[in-house]
Amino acid sequence: MRSWQRFRQSYFFYSFKRDPVALGSFSIFFFLFMVSIFAPLVAPYNTYDTSTYDIMDAELPPSWMDDGEERFLLGTDIQGRDLYSTMIYGLRTSVFIGVGAVLFQAILGIIVGLTAGYLGGRVDSTLMRIADIQFSIPYLIVAIIASAIFQLAFGVGRFEELALPLLIVIIGLSEWPKYARTVRASVLGEKNKEYVEAARVIGLNRRLIMFRHILPNTMTPVLVISTIQVAQAIMSEAALSFLGLGMPVTKPSLGSLIKAGFEYVFSGSWWITFFPGILLVTFTLVIILFGDWLRDVLNPKLYKG
Amino acid sequence: MKKIILLCLAAGLVFSGTAIAKGKTLRLALDADPKTLDIHEQLSAGMLQFSHIVFDPLVRWTLDMSFEPRLARRWERIDDKTMRFYLRKGVSFHSGNPFTAKDIVFSVNRLKKSVDFKGLFELFEEPVIIDDHTVDIKTSKPYPLLLNMATYIFPVDSVFYTGKDNKGKAKDNIVKVGYSFAKSTLPSGTGPYRCTYREHGVKMLFERNSDYWDKKSPGNVDKIVLSPIKEEATRVAALLSGDVDVISPVPPQDFKRIERDRKVNLFTVTGTRIITVQMNQKRSKPLRNPLVRQAIVHAVNNDGIVKRLMKGTATLAGQMSPEGYLGHDETLKPRYDLEKAKQLMKQAGYEKGFTANMIAPNNRYVNDEKIAEAFVSMLSKIKIKINLKTMPKAQYWDEFDRQPADFQLIGWHSDTEDSGNFYEYLAMCPDRKTGLGQYNSGNYCNQEVDKLTLESMVETDMQVRAAKLKKIERILYDEAAFIPFHWQNFAYGARKGINVEPILNIMNFPYFGDLVMK
Repeated sequence: MRSWQRFRQSYFFYSFKRDPVALGSFSIFFFLFMVSIFAPLVAPYNTYDTSTYDIMDAELPPSWMDDGEERFLLGTDIQGRDLYSTMIYGLRTSVFIGVGAVLFQAILGIIVGLTAGYLGGRVDSTLMRIADIQFSIPYLIVAIIASAIFQLAFGVGRFEELALPLLIVIIGLSEWPKYARTVRASVLGEKNKEYVEAARVIGLNRRLIMFRHILPNTMTPVLVISTIQVAQAIMSEAALSFLGLGMPVTKPSLGSLIKAGFEYVFSGSWWITFFPGILLVTFTLVIILFGDWLRDVLNPKLYKG
Repeated sequence: MKKIILLCLAAGLVFSGTAIAKGKTLRLALDADPKTLDIHEQLSAGMLQFSHIVFDPLVRWTLDMSFEPRLARRWERIDDKTMRFYLRKGVSFHSGNPFTAKDIVFSVNRLKKSVDFKGLFELFEEPVIIDDHTVDIKTSKPYPLLLNMATYIFPVDSVFYTGKDNKGKAKDNIVKVGYSFAKSTLPSGTGPYRCTYREHGVKMLFERNSDYWDKKSPGNVDKIVLSPIKEEATRVAALLSGDVDVISPVPPQDFKRIERDRKVNLFTVTGTRIITVQMNQKRSKPLRNPLVRQAIVHAVNNDGIVKRLMKGTATLAGQMSPEGYLGHDETLKPRYDLEKAKQLMKQAGYEKGFTANMIAPNNRYVNDEKIAEAFVSMLSKIKIKINLKTMPKAQYWDEFDRQPADFQLIGWHSDTEDSGNFYEYLAMCPDRKTGLGQYNSGNYCNQEVDKLTLESMVETDMQVRAAKLKKIERILYDEAAFIPFHWQNFAYGARKGINVEPILNIMNFPYFGDLVMK
């Protein structure tokens, strides 16, 4: 309770209440996040179950247009799936991948960055060169190679179940150097401060100093890039699915929905791409806006009176 | 810089304007231009389309699946293994060399050397010249499809392609990768057009052959400009904006748009490429049960796929052989019936269904990935859960041969335009040594089908042969050896005033020589 009290009285909460952009973007984000978590309760159909839709319902327009049907609010896609439900499930997949990939890369990046920054010397240069190399490999190539290896290792049949964790690993792997660099830079700034020296003088061991004393003081930039990275991961997944390297066709994410509808835009079935596209843009936009505000607030150099 | 570009554009307009004024120019956009200028190097629809523009075959197919004499005036069977062809007189190649029986011998021998064609011409022996304009084409065994194969014999100029080129290489070399004389020299054929310019991947020009032998041909196009446009939406846009006159293929999702537009017309021809899914009986135990296979065939709403996914650009199939083929049996109807499918599953003892996996290509056939996806959804209604993996065709065929999945999608076009070819590759017991049943990844095996197929290969009495082929088709139907979907149609879009219909045929090789343009 006391920490809640402290939070309510903090500058952070104060400026959050007063900033309409922050308030708006956070509430939209929170709403969409909840919808995606509770997708099975919200969506009228479970479109990830292939037996629930029928090809004869394919390409129906949204319900308010001619030929539209009451059953399908936003129309259906080319396989006859209810677009509204599929978007909710697709958003859920995108959120899982976004959050999962960011957790993966944050853990990896923080450990590497902390170790490199604190220990310095040869360890530092080795780890940072590895990060540089990793950074120079485009995630598309990583994705192609990883999916090929996965398929060899687990067979064709398991791909459908493993696609989600695989995508999390692929996107996580390709982005961790961002965290490593940021954390390392903060650690370099922190490690010569008095409190660290004091901890060293009492004889605390290195790991304790690194994780208990330095790490909390480097979290501000980590929080800020995390928001942007979530948005980035969701877009990477959309891009991979758009190229056919992402989720299996029977479990479309937002990206694969957009791709599937793309061929039909000119032919009149605009809704298959339009609605998922709007949803993807909205979702990533609110995350980025919120992240922007977070950066402004948490950066002491940018106090806005 | 801008001015120069503008000037160039203006000049281009003036020049193209004068070109149109002189004669009729057909601007043709296809998904790809011919890979090579050597017609014996690659066996593909694109190359055969090219062959029909610059060369002439001995005989060719008409729309109703009969033979039309071309460079052969008439023909007669001498015995089981020999067919005598009487060649047209007074025909000359673009180089000026006269066309004689020697060119037939040269061409058949060259086809037998070509990696791509030698499979088709395996049974052929060296033709025997009777006189300058009579030739006997012989096969090592009785061969009922000799005339079908004669549609692949486009005589090439033996004088032009004999000898050494200036690099010291034989002119008749067939080289797939790297240099050869035939692939890099503008060809010399007998066809309605000569190829006058080629920039691979950009443009190809054809000009009407003024000495063309077929004076009765109604064709009035003087010049063809072929540009490859790979992107489907771009190709359609080029037609609608009037940049090109004729396009092919037309993507199914744009059919409505082209039909609605008053400036352009859509033409479709029933094709003969069957799309099927094979059920691997070696891998999966339930699929060994004919009842389960029947249930699956009954659960597949291929009518829905044709109507919704293909938008009517395919012909619904219940068997392998399309209409016009000897093996086609009209009584074998498509079988979609979900209730019956559920019943059959119950009867087979698989009420609760089972799990299986499937692979399919995603850029080989029209809508292949979506067909596979729809198939998965349909089977889940009889509680068969399928894990689907789709991949580009570059990876797919290796995977197909390894057979990692219980269900594999394959489309098949019979090169000989004959039912026997379907059974030989898709239905016979797979045998690595003889190559029979090479693409039968379902491992369906029935001794009677094998026996009948082998017999039909050497049966020259067409009626007996038809009876045998129909019997095979019936057995495959009754045992649900495979899942038929549809035959893919071909589609052409053309600007008003160009009637493409008379030059189209079941094989997707339009006879541009006979095209009439207003």
